[in-house]
Order: sequence, then C-alpha cells, then structure tokens
Amino acid sequence: MSRLTARVLSLGVALVLPLSLAACGGEDAPDAGTDEPIVIEVTFADGTVTPKGDRIQVGVGQEIVFDITADEAGELHAHTTEELELAYPAGESEQTMVVDQPGVVDVESHDLDQILVQLQVS
Amino acid sequence: MGAPFLGLLPGVLPGPLPMHGIGGAKDLPISPELAISGAVAALTISFIVLALAWRTPRYDAATDGRPAPAALSSLVTSTGWSVAMRVLGLVVFGYAAFAAVLGEDLLTNPFFGMFYVWLWVGLVFFSAVLGPVWKAISPARTINLAFAKISGSDPDEGLFRYPAWLGHWPAALGLYAFVWLELVYPYSTELGPVRLWCAAYVAVMLLGGALFGNDFYENADPFEVYSTLIGKLSPWTVRKGELMVISPLANLNTVVPRAGLVGVVAVLFGSTAFDSFKDSAPWVRFVQTNSFIGEHDLGLVADNLALLTFCVGVAAILSIGSMLTGVAPGQSRLGLPRQFAHSVVPIILGYIVAHYLSYWFEVGQDTLIKASDPLTTGADYLGTGDWSVNYWLSYHPTLLANIKVIAVVLGHVVGVIAAHDRAIRLLPPRHHLTGQLGMLVAMVFFTAGGLYLLFAA
Repeated sequence: MSRLTARVLSLGVALVLPLSLAACGGEDAPDAGTDEPIVIEVTFADGTVTPKGDRIQVGVGQEIVFDITADEAGELHAHTTEELELAYPAGESEQTMVVDQPGVVDVESHDLDQILVQLQVS
Repeated sequence: MGAPFLGLLPGVLPGPLPMHGIGGAKDLPISPELAISGAVAALTISFIVLALAWRTPRYDAATDGRPAPAALSSLVTSTGWSVAMRVLGLVVFGYAAFAAVLGEDLLTNPFFGMFYVWLWVGLVFFSAVLGPVWKAISPARTINLAFAKISGSDPDEGLFRYPAWLGHWPAALGLYAFVWLELVYPYSTELGPVRLWCAAYVAVMLLGGALFGNDFYENADPFEVYSTLIGKLSPWTVRKGELMVISPLANLNTVVPRAGLVGVVAVLFGSTAFDSFKDSAPWVRFVQTNSFIGEHDLGLVADNLALLTFCVGVAAILSIGSMLTGVAPGQSRLGLPRQFAHSVVPIILGYIVAHYLSYWFEVGQDTLIKASDPLTTGADYLGTGDWSVNYWLSYHPTLLANIKVIAVVLGHVVGVIAAHDRAIRLLPPRHHLTGQLGMLVAMVFFTAGGLYLLFAA
C-alpha cells in the first residue's frame, strides 16, 4: 500500500472510530426484568385486523400481552428465533410471550397475510 | 417465558409458512447517532480523497501485485487443487439436490438454508476473502468440463462465440430472478418453486455452456459473475498461471467493464437496499394501511414495483453521476457508467456485511445443524445434529451496529478511491476535479441511503 493510500485510510479510520464510539458508548445495559408487561390490543373482525404493522419498543425479557378480541379462532405467529405460535379462541382472550434475544420480531396473522406489530426488542 | 407455545419446536411446524423468509428475528436498527456519524465520516473522507489523493493514475492491471509464496502458488494452480475444488462443489451441490428432491417440504429442510444463506451470502464472504470461489467450485462448469472430456472437445469452446454486446446482461437478469424469488415471491420458502428455480438455473447453465463454452459462465452465470466481482476485493489474483498477492484496490481496478456490468451492480445494491426497506416500519405500515392497495390486493404489485424501482434507481444514479463530466473530444459519455461501475462493488460489499453478517453467522450455523438430517428422518449424517446455534452476535447489538457502520464506511472509502483513480485515468486533465463530483455525490447518496435504511430497519 502506498503512503498516500495509507494516509487516506488511516484518516478515515481515525474519523470513524471516535465518532462511532462516541455515538454509542455504553448502550448494552439491558433495561429488562423490572418493567410492567406491555399490553397490545388486537381486534380481529370481518377478515381484518388492527393494529396494522405498528413498531412497538419492548425490553429484553419484558412480558408482552396480546389482549385479543376475535370473531373467530386463529393463530398468531411471532417470528422469533424459534418461531412461536399463539393460538387464540373466538371471543376475548389474552396471550403472552417473552423475547429474550435482542432484535426485531414480526408478529403476523398468516390467515390474513398481515403483520400486526413489529416488536423492537432491546 | 409464558407457557403455551414452548412445546412448539421448529420440527413440528405444520408446513411451510408463506410471507416470511428463513431466519427469525431481524437485527435492531442502528442508532440515529451512529447513522449520522457514519454519513458524516463518509462525506468527509470523500472530500479528503478528492483533495489529497494522487494526481496520476496509480493502478495498472499488467504489473500490480507481487508473487505469492511459491509453494502456495504451485498448490492453488495445480491440477490436484482444481480437481479437489470441483469435487467439493459437486458434493455440496449433490447433497443440496438430495435434500431438495427427496426431502420434505418443511422449513427444517436444509436446502433452503443452503440456497439462501450458504450460496447467496456465503458466496460473498468467501469470495471477498479467497477470490473467485464460484468459478472454482461451480457445478455447471464441472459438468460442462466432464462433457468436454468425454466427447474429446475443449470446455472453453462452444458452438458459437459468446456475443460481446450481451456481456453481463444475462447475469443481471439471473441475479434479478434470484432476488425476486427471495424477496418478493410469497412462496419463497416452499420447496417446489425453489427447486424449479434451481432446475431452470442448471438447465440454462448447461445449455449456455454447450452453446458458448466457458465464456458463458464468465459472462452470464449470475453466481459466478457476483463471486468474481466480489473476489476483486480479495488480496489474490492469478496472472500468467502464477498466484499474486495484490492490494484490493489494485485488484478492483482489473474488473473488466463489460456490457451489463451496470445492470449487475444495480441489481446487487438495489435488491439489498430493498431487503432492508421492505421490513422498515414505514413501508410495512404503508402497504398494509393504504386503502387502494388493500381493496385491490396489490401488496405483491407494490413489492414488485419497489424492488424494480430500487434497482433502476441505482443504475440511474450511477449512470448520471458518472456521465456528469466534461469529456475529451471524441470520447463517449455513454461508455463511462460501466467504466465506473466497479467502484460501487466495495459499497455493495460493505452493505452486504452490514445487512447479512448476523444472518450469515446464525442461519448459516442453523443450516449446518439441519443439514445433518436432510430428509427429516431423525438422521444425523454429519454429526452436527445436536449442535446448537451460537447467538452471541445478536446478544451484542451495539458491537453489531458498530461493525455495520464501519463496514459501510470502509466500503465507501475504497469505492471513492477506486472512482478517483479511474477518473484521472479516463478524463481529460482539465476535468479531473470537477469530473469526479458527480460520481462522488452518487456514492455519498448510496452510502447515506444505506445507512438510513439500517437506521430505519
């Protein structure tokens, strides 16, 4: 590598490193455990569902409660690392789940081909 | 953990699940501070390169690099090595075909991971480190070679000469067909369609090899073109039968600007950007709440349009950016985009690392575990069946986010230097400085756009 290339590259690295380290120092501390459960209201009616793709911030290990009102029974799929299925009956019910691994988890209804929420777990 | 779903292990899921590719949770978005720092760094470095870098072209394809150690060189250029690579390629290909043809139509079938992760993502990482790996292991090349040996002909020769005007266009089309299958097609994790795609790929490759010889693979095999392009960022090249160690920048300079190179680069970068975009909250909300899309069931159309828009957009920005310069009398502006397309390759690699690193690490391991039981019979052929996936990277999201931004910014630096060297080689001296600005703006746009998508993911 030429001196000039080396100089440009080292300048680049010199710029990137402090900037990025400054931007995100000490973020790994999990805010898990102590939080209240997050309640997400879900309504199935006439082949539609709400919510329709909301992004929801969740802590690692925080309990997530789906408060479901449905006109017919069905299943939610949560695309966690090991996929979860939450079967719910017609009428009112509560389904709970917990995510232990940071990431973004889509919760879908495959019958309706809809993403209900994206859980942003951090 | 809540109880009701814990009993459900992946192996007992009822059939494949549409809508969702393989792999579970996706990466967290990077923080806005990190995205902005990265973009600022990219912008600053761009102008440092413009102001400080050399004024006469530095790279020369004929002389760059120095010989690798003789023992290593004679090993990797030996017939034994080449045969070993071809056998390795055939064995893995055969194993994937075995799982694809005889295995069950379940997500536990390792064929999906071998196709979408080992091949599509692994190809990139291996090529960046080792050079053009697909050329060495390509089953289509091996079969073509075997036919040639049997019939006593030359594998380099086909019935016709491969037309130069066609160049990489078939590869661009093939790459588009792959990303469409992976990212848009709703049944991308059902065995039938993926198997059909692979069968069509193999058929076209064998036919093309018979018609045009090995030139066809060099130009038109989507995986070989991708692998060889990324391999130009590796520190290896072979010249006159000798292995050389070469700076990635000098290696990148040797990319042949064939017809269609802009298309290849546009599909690779555009599709990866679309992959981030389609999972972003704004797009998910838009597709699912827009009443026109909902009433006319146009979700698939919207995805198709978005993928196409991303790819065409990259091609347009690259073309306009490279053509916005003064040229010498008689020099064609239209020839410039493909001369500069190589400088987007490091940006692609940086973005692929950012986008796929955790996916490669985690789903790649998962595939190795599943590969031990290809037919879902409870077998453990490879002895890897009881391994468990290491999710260390996902549990360190801050480290992961830092790696992503550093990869994107490094890719940008290499790209800007490559474009700079190309500009002072091609453009007349009085346009050296101003002629680079268009391309610089295009690259800053790609990098900042990529960082924005990592932030909005």
